Amino acid sequence: MSRAVELHNVSKVYVLGEGVKVEARRGVDLNVEKGELLSIMGPSGSGKSTLLNMIGGLDNPTSGRVIVDGIDITGMGEGELARFRRESVGFVFQFFNLVPILTALENVELPIIFEGKLSSGETRERASDLLRLVGLGERMNHRPSQMSGGEQQRVAIARALANDPSIVIADEPTGNVDRETGSKILRFIQHLNKTLGQTFILVTHDPTVSQASQRIVYMLDGRIILEPPKSVETPSKQALIEERRQLMLAELGWLRNSLIRLEESRDSMEIELYNQLRAGYASKLESLKQAIRGSQEVS
Amino acid sequence: MANTVKTFRLALNMASKSIGRRKFRAALTILGIIIGITTIVSLMSIGYGMQTEVGSALSDMLGAGITISSGGMGGMSANIPEYVRDYVLQVPGVKDCVPVITTMMEVGGSQTMVIGIDPDQAQSLYHVTLSEGRLPRRGEDYSVVIGVSMAERLGVHVNDTITLSSTMGGVGNTFTVVGILRSVGSSGISIGCFISLQAAQSLLKKEGYVSTLLVVLNDPSQATYVEHSLKQLFPEASVSSQEAILSQVNNILNIVTGVLLALGAISLAVGAIGVMNTITMSVYERTREIGMMKAVGGERSHILLIFLSEAAIIGLIGGCAGNVLGLLMVYVIKLFASTIGLPFTIPLVISPTIIAAAMILSLAISVIAGLYPSWKATNIRPVEVLRYE
Repeated sequence: MSRAVELHNVSKVYVLGEGVKVEARRGVDLNVEKGELLSIMGPSGSGKSTLLNMIGGLDNPTSGRVIVDGIDITGMGEGELARFRRESVGFVFQFFNLVPILTALENVELPIIFEGKLSSGETRERASDLLRLVGLGERMNHRPSQMSGGEQQRVAIARALANDPSIVIADEPTGNVDRETGSKILRFIQHLNKTLGQTFILVTHDPTVSQASQRIVYMLDGRIILEPPKSVETPSKQALIEERRQLMLAELGWLRNSLIRLEESRDSMEIELYNQLRAGYASKLESLKQAIRGSQEVS
Repeated sequence: MANTVKTFRLALNMASKSIGRRKFRAALTILGIIIGITTIVSLMSIGYGMQTEVGSALSDMLGAGITISSGGMGGMSANIPEYVRDYVLQVPGVKDCVPVITTMMEVGGSQTMVIGIDPDQAQSLYHVTLSEGRLPRRGEDYSVVIGVSMAERLGVHVNDTITLSSTMGGVGNTFTVVGILRSVGSSGISIGCFISLQAAQSLLKKEGYVSTLLVVLNDPSQATYVEHSLKQLFPEASVSSQEAILSQVNNILNIVTGVLLALGAISLAVGAIGVMNTITMSVYERTREIGMMKAVGGERSHILLIFLSEAAIIGLIGGCAGNVLGLLMVYVIKLFASTIGLPFTIPLVISPTIIAAAMILSLAISVIAGLYPSWKATNIRPVEVLRYE
């Protein structure tokens, strides 16, 4: 039996401007078994999202191979990838990304219609079943603007399951909802994982999310730094804060390095792009510094 | 393919909801298309109607095969001596020659076309149909037959009197209305007035002169030959056969229609730019949505269809409304023309060809205008738009 996901020495190099390259992923190997619930953690910019995009067929690796459910998607063209995504991958995004003008039901129907295998009646039935599964049987004809964040995220989960995918990948699924809703969504993902045997790959900042998963993978500067087995005891609040602080510090280091690299390549890039990047980094740095200061006060 | 049908239904659903979300903007865009289509439909209808109706009216009116008129002032100045008729009658192939004065005169404050002709000839040459009364009799110099629209405008009936005066000034004469003209020939045209030739001559103070000689032929096929002979006989007069006049009129109408069509095309082009702008804005606003749809497996064709449907709906609504407004406009122009007493009526021709052509044009222009922004939408890469809020 093939694994859900196999990554062989995958790397991704971004070409920003002329001659400016940013290595987001460096030679990563990763296997995900079928039915697994995996969390990927790490500071922003560490390459988690890039990794997720490559697994989901949204982005092509610069080198290495990505195999999902036994299918090598590495060299696929745009059309093939689109088909792969709708047949084999379910996406859950941090900002839900539902179509605002469509009802919950129509949003869930979207990938089924794109797939085109079911009749209109079957499509409607399948979408309704999924919405009932996520507990939104009563809210099918509501539009996203009429729903809470948690409800919208559940619609997104129903949409992700629409074509019975091999894997569901979720980028910060609880990042845009309050703590309580977040933990509800998390419990729900665990529930789907157990009952349906659905493979989930989550990217998260949230330690409670990662605790809920069977396996955690940490990433830093485009590398998988450790794969600790899931700890039996729950870490104390102090430990969680400390972990967060460490992650933020790691992110700070990454930002500083990025800034230095940017300065080095300043002459070889367009001034507009440079200014844009610099402003972006600077504001991120500022907010990060504040967050670290805040966490020091707590501890 | 059922798949295509379902995608199409989805695309139409999303497109109509997207338009519904931005009603005001869509309304403005549709208005742009409506203006273009209205212009084209009304102008084409008028042009088309004029061409068919004026053509048939002319051929009915000019029962004569050939007309001889003095050059200048559009053949309306009366300076052909009446005795020329006797020479014309000598030309082989000529059956009869009828002297006529065609001129513009003032009546009730506006100008109208007046034809001075022997009453007996009016019937046979102009195929006059009366709705009331009779034609003037020989010797009744101050009798007049007026068009039905003029009668309504002036509020006169049979046995009332009207005053006709030369547009060049002068006192004018009082005429008794003896008949109301319903139509000339088979067309709906009811041109101004018919009076006797003598009355016209005395009004213009041109006794013994006429503006036109209508030549009736023995055999219509001899027209070219007779025309040639007459031209040699009267080199300074303008001699034209009915066919030549018809083709001339058609030429002028073609040019007019062409110019009107160009105007319509320009307004439609402006409308098309509006559609392009709207679809561009819609794509821009929905960048994330497009990225998400591609992420969950939407292909380029799906995205293209969704946005082209939006353009198509705009085109469809614009086309329908444009057609209705265009035909309404023709009606209004027709009404306006008859109230200000223009010497002709505009026929209201509802041509299915024009309506269908306008619909197709509106749809095609909108879809073509939407092509570029929709194609740009298909190039949106999900990774680039989904990451940050």
